[in-house]
Amino acid sequence: MKPESTKNVAEYYRHLSLFWTDLIHLMSSKPQALTSIGPMRNFTENAKKITTELIDGSAVLIEFNNSLTEYYRQLIDTWNESQKKVNFKAPKIPNDPEQYEAYKRVWIDIFDNDFTELFDSKKFGENYGKLVAKELELTKHWNNIMNVMLQSANLPNKQEIDDVYRELHSLRKRISKLESKLRAKNTVKDDVK
Amino acid sequence: MSSEIKIDPKIIAEMLKFSKNVTEAPQLVTSPDEIKLGTTPFDVVYEEDKVRLMHYKPMTDKQLHTPLIIAYAIINRYHILDIHPKKSWVKNLLEHGVDVYMIDWGTPSSIDKYLDFDDYVNGYLDNCVEFVKRESNVDKVSLQGYCTGGTMAAIYSSLHPENVKNFIATAPVIDGWKDTTVVSNLVRHIDVDKFVEIVGNMPPEFMYYCFSILKPFEQGIEKYIKFFKNIEDKNFVDNFMRIEKWLSDTPPIPGELFRQWIKDIYQDNLLIQNKMYVGGKHVSLENIKMPLFTQVAVGDHLVSPECSMPLHYSVGSEDKTLKVYPTGHVGMIASSLSQKKILPELCQWLKVHS
Repeated sequence: MKPESTKNVAEYYRHLSLFWTDLIHLMSSKPQALTSIGPMRNFTENAKKITTELIDGSAVLIEFNNSLTEYYRQLIDTWNESQKKVNFKAPKIPNDPEQYEAYKRVWIDIFDNDFTELFDSKKFGENYGKLVAKELELTKHWNNIMNVMLQSANLPNKQEIDDVYRELHSLRKRISKLESKLRAKNTVKDDVK
Repeated sequence: MSSEIKIDPKIIAEMLKFSKNVTEAPQLVTSPDEIKLGTTPFDVVYEEDKVRLMHYKPMTDKQLHTPLIIAYAIINRYHILDIHPKKSWVKNLLEHGVDVYMIDWGTPSSIDKYLDFDDYVNGYLDNCVEFVKRESNVDKVSLQGYCTGGTMAAIYSSLHPENVKNFIATAPVIDGWKDTTVVSNLVRHIDVDKFVEIVGNMPPEFMYYCFSILKPFEQGIEKYIKFFKNIEDKNFVDNFMRIEKWLSDTPPIPGELFRQWIKDIYQDNLLIQNKMYVGGKHVSLENIKMPLFTQVAVGDHLVSPECSMPLHYSVGSEDKTLKVYPTGHVGMIASSLSQKKILPELCQWLKVHS
């Protein structure tokens, strides 16, 4: 399937899911209001956000899988190439301890050299960068789903906790600076005495 | 039969011996949890947030006038500098009469995700230096930085040269673009903004992945074969387990620090170009005018010599020494070579400069 058609299929299912989620939400909002109360009502109202995140996450998952496949392809290709080199350099099966030791040394040296070359290459670095980026995007969708659920339960979400951390960091910094200033002032006083 | 494969009975005997060693290993070897790293006695003399300053108990009657503060790296833990009584960097310094302090950066948690270079260098490190100055009644200290700690010590020496009498840089990360290690290739391609925004602190698992691609077959297979083959050699096994325990324990890196680290050092390479800013202050390596002793290992596959050596050529110091040793990143600080050659040379230099 071409990337373009993959996108179209994802768009189609996205539209389909959102249409039904919206419609069911509209159709059931009045009976729901009667039956569901408190935080859980909030949660059902947020179901659309979760659906959106799941659909967007699925699209990212396809890209993640492409990078993951490429990652394993690079490893397998390098493995095959290294094994060919080993077979060429040491074609006989070792049958005494010295030969076995020499064979192992050749095997490890060739594999380490080839894999180091791979890990050092631009193609590996770029694909690894994409793989991590897609993994992070998937994590972000998961975080967003969790945020919706936490908000529904009246608990602080990641953004709110991050704001608290930032504020604490700023306060700690200010206190540390004040302590340093106070210490310097006391040192001057002691010197004068 | 012509297709019959003849196998030397010695191979069978070796395989049987190897299986026996694997089976008996649990009876012969202490588990990593039971091993205590860092045996040289010390007092914790200063604490701030999760950072601790340790002061090692002297081992000589007379000590050098200028105390030495070691800024350990932000990856793994300080124990490697005191990994074994016979290979302890710290103990050797103490035996040479050096008054040793070491900074343990602690284990950052989510609450520390906004800590950055400014907090580490102008905050924690500066506060430790000021504390030692007061305690030892000196105007300046000797400062040693190892690995990423070398980078922080270099930035500190540039921003606070009035506090540093001597600067010792051991495998410091300085010129990110010249670093030829596989780790630098990975971090150059990472979207670090996205990483920090979504994950927060750099998780240890990411570091373990980076370690796993460093000579994966030598380190991932051959090392363990050697371990089981030598299971009856107590010294070998003891050293092996200590290093393994140290390797498998790295703390998270605060998100903001990680972001600046990757961007400013590896991706934009600002430090060596004298374009880096920390806490709004311009970092110029030319400000480092105190005596400098740089230690580099030719076999370093974590911080390549090409990445460390530019420090020697970029500082403003007139009194500077560059030492290149035939060892690796860990071998430089915890090996028989470090005990017999690297440390005696450093201690001699410190004696002259203290």
